[in-house]
Amino acid sequence: MKRSFLIVCSNLRKAKGQMAVISVLLLLAALMLNLSLMLMMDYKQNFNRCHDKLNDGHVTLVFNDNSKEIRDFVTETLENDNRTVQYQIENSLYMAGSFRYNNAELSLDLVALEKETALKRSVGRAGIVEDSRLQSGVYLPIIYNSSEDIASGSKIDITVGSDTVINYTVCGFFNSTMAGSHNCGLTEILLTADKYKELADKKLAASGTLVSVRMDDKTNSEDFEADLKNAISKKYPAVSILSNSYTLVYSSRYISQMICSAIISAMAAFVTLIGLVVITSNISNYIHKNMKNLGALKAIGYRSRQVIMVFLLQFLSITLIAVTIGIGLSYCMFPALNTMMAAQTGIPYDVHFLPVPSLLAVSSLCGVVALAVYMASYRIRKIEPVTALRQGVLTHSFKRNHIPLEHTKVPLSFALALKTTLAGIKQNITICLTMFVLSLVIVFSVVMLENVILDTEPFINMIVGEIADSSINVDIQQEKELVKILEEDTRVEKAYLYHMEDLRHVGGISLLVILSDNFMDFKNQDLCIEGRFPKYNNEVATGARYAKDKGIKIGEEITLEAYGKKAVYIVTGFTQNSNFLGKDCMMTRDGYKRMAEPKGASYYLDIKDGVDIDKFNEEISSHFGNGVYTINIHSQIKSGSAVYVSLMSVIVIVILAVSVIIILFVLYILIRSLLNNKKHDYGVMKAIGFTTRQLMLQTALSFMPAAMISAVAGIIISKIIINPLLSVFLSGIGIVKCNYSVSAGFIIAAGTCMVMAAFGIACLLSIKIKKIAPEKLLSTE
Amino acid sequence: MKEVLLRTEKLSKTFSNGGQLQHVLKNVDLELYKGDFTVIMGASGAGKSTLLYALSGMDTPSLGKITFGNEVISSYSSDELAVFRRKHCGFVFQQIYLLDGMSVMDNVLAAGLLTSKDKKKIVEYAKELFRAVDISEETQNKFPTQISGGESQRAGIVRALVNSPGILFADEPTGALNSKTGLDVLNTLTEFNGRGQSIVMVTHDMRSARRGNRILYLKDGSVLGECNLGRYVHGDKERHEKLATFLTEMGW
Repeated sequence: MKRSFLIVCSNLRKAKGQMAVISVLLLLAALMLNLSLMLMMDYKQNFNRCHDKLNDGHVTLVFNDNSKEIRDFVTETLENDNRTVQYQIENSLYMAGSFRYNNAELSLDLVALEKETALKRSVGRAGIVEDSRLQSGVYLPIIYNSSEDIASGSKIDITVGSDTVINYTVCGFFNSTMAGSHNCGLTEILLTADKYKELADKKLAASGTLVSVRMDDKTNSEDFEADLKNAISKKYPAVSILSNSYTLVYSSRYISQMICSAIISAMAAFVTLIGLVVITSNISNYIHKNMKNLGALKAIGYRSRQVIMVFLLQFLSITLIAVTIGIGLSYCMFPALNTMMAAQTGIPYDVHFLPVPSLLAVSSLCGVVALAVYMASYRIRKIEPVTALRQGVLTHSFKRNHIPLEHTKVPLSFALALKTTLAGIKQNITICLTMFVLSLVIVFSVVMLENVILDTEPFINMIVGEIADSSINVDIQQEKELVKILEEDTRVEKAYLYHMEDLRHVGGISLLVILSDNFMDFKNQDLCIEGRFPKYNNEVATGARYAKDKGIKIGEEITLEAYGKKAVYIVTGFTQNSNFLGKDCMMTRDGYKRMAEPKGASYYLDIKDGVDIDKFNEEISSHFGNGVYTINIHSQIKSGSAVYVSLMSVIVIVILAVSVIIILFVLYILIRSLLNNKKHDYGVMKAIGFTTRQLMLQTALSFMPAAMISAVAGIIISKIIINPLLSVFLSGIGIVKCNYSVSAGFIIAAGTCMVMAAFGIACLLSIKIKKIAPEKLLSTE
Repeated sequence: MKEVLLRTEKLSKTFSNGGQLQHVLKNVDLELYKGDFTVIMGASGAGKSTLLYALSGMDTPSLGKITFGNEVISSYSSDELAVFRRKHCGFVFQQIYLLDGMSVMDNVLAAGLLTSKDKKKIVEYAKELFRAVDISEETQNKFPTQISGGESQRAGIVRALVNSPGILFADEPTGALNSKTGLDVLNTLTEFNGRGQSIVMVTHDMRSARRGNRILYLKDGSVLGECNLGRYVHGDKERHEKLATFLTEMGW
């Protein structure tokens, strides 16, 4: 053992640079693997911990009625349902509202509770995270603390309805798992007793009821939500209900965690793969270079197992050190990642040591390294001492003379480079694998750059479905007047019905339904990813994700129910947007009327460029008074998407930086081993008149065929698979078919840059050739 | 009057060995003539190979001047020296150093195509040289590991000559060969010298030294003496005795 340890130390000393590169690759792999494991195994579990700590509900409902009758009905329904474990019914104020967030106006369905009441609720209580102890004002969900202009003690204007602005002092922030973010469907705010009373007295918000229910089995929360909502709607059709379920909120609050962990784990896998290829190539080179010594060792009685053990000891020791440091670094980076993601999740997470992910990272990386080392060094068993002593020269050689100089028309440097390329299969495999992975990374980055960062519309289209400048919601009685005004207003380019209601799929769950008079008015016709939009009143297009989960096919009939009335519809197509995680459907307004009358009418407007949308909305609001609700969609999207855009920007920058490091390291290892193997050859070539520059060019060029072929193949394949791959990543948010544009020109340019960068790096790294002094290699004295 | 091909003035080479300076060549003034078969002899560590590599532009002197024709090569950069070597020098090494990854023919053409753009001409000349050193076409297409030591060294001579160099430098060319193949190599060198090829050869083997017409004896980094033997004639005993006497005088 001591002897093996000494050999390991000697090997490590001899190949310091290569071992350093392998260590860094393994360190990066461990860092990313541990981060992704922590995100997957614990980060999301934090939701459950907070949920349990606050004894939050699995279903939350709020409706604009707080009469005893409806409360009794809800109580009776909950008591009679054996799925109910515990519930809490509370007075609340219920309103549409908005405030500035991330430099844009964010419109929300707000549920205001009196602070002390909210903190004492047995189910669904709020937990104060930051308290300035100011006596009068508002407490906001902690997610809004990430906005620059919202802080404890600062002032905030909350617009209630469309035009009433109330100025509050922010007293602090609280945590609520089920109603603590704009991703929850409804957002809670807590008012101090005086402010609560003031809002209620002014009648700016509807007096409502907040119901929080804990269930015996949270996995049935969507069904329970649908049943409860349906029961209330059936008995009280005029009541407007907002609700959410544990399943929906659990997914929607962790979109960034899902995207991040998927990307980081993919990168970890890629880096590990490259690290393993580098290790196997390193062992292979070592065997080639030390063939004679290995032969001598075997000749004097050493067994192959002992030599393999030395390799295992050598690589496992550096793996263990690198992985430990990598895991340590992952804990240093986790707070930054946590801050970035908390801006979307809105749930505070305390970074703490997680033994299970760390152990998994150590064991999996050590395991794959041990396997790779064993497989690469297994060849030692097959080496006969005689062959090894002859430097691996076999008595029968079937080596081919690639590119014979006598017949080739290729210039000398290129021909010699090609000879090196064709003679180095392992070198080519490493390059191909690296460039292939990098092509995928480049294509991913380009797609994200084009569709999320530079032009946010494709991303937003996928998330939101349809975008317009403004949305105006009026009571059904005021619809005709609104349409007339919009038709006469020259600032309006286009106005079309885009109205949301709820319904229930019989045998399924509660779905959001988007109503339109004519779906051809939608700008985003890609919203329907299969089949067509509904045209007639007996047709429906369902969310693709929901249809996939339920096995619904185009042409099938499904029964839907709204306000207690059922109707049968033919499925004409599948739609896709992640707004409600794919749990939605679309039908014509006439189609919906077969079940119930819509409670209002929402119109999407395209407004001429240069027109101030807020001002326009204000004019409409002032015309209709309290019965109208307007949203500046641009502003809404800007504030909502800012988190994703900045998150994606960071991800793209990080993965590009990691890619550059990888390419640098892999080329370093390859060039170093190439120079070691060809040191004598280069010495001879220098002696007979090759210049350093020629040899550097030759070395760099020898990597290019594999680099170019794999880059082209990688880019073509990546272009084909990137959308299906992203669909898999985004399936959790209701995306079944990703159809991001992949600009060929952009990708070709990026691929060319990647190959040129590889060539440049290879040239720079081959500068060591300058140090090869022919006279030192050739001298006999 | 012989034409001077290469001249050294106060040529010195000093190595630093663990902080200690080692003067391997000391103020060597030397002229090498066109068409000569110059042999450099001396005991181990006398500076023979160092002188050879300095003369051939493979190494740069610490002090002094080396002139090839009108070119002062001692002031050249490493890349300029590489170009000088490819144009004017040919090398035959003791360990042969053919490139294992290339066929014998490619080894020769890799050197030949460095200077000539007329591939047809260089291929023809390479084949002519191969015929001259008795290497068959089949052997030309083999890899260095597949041929004998003698064939390898003769292929090495073809590689050295393919660019029609001004001087062929040979560093112990028979050192790694048995007596039969060594003799073949010496015969080949003698034959090319007979055709006018200038050769500078380092050796410590008297049998090899006999082939030269001018013998330089190095001791402690300086030329201790020289002996002009005239052209090699097989079986010329008087010539052999003259060399033996010279070497005895030099302390051989």
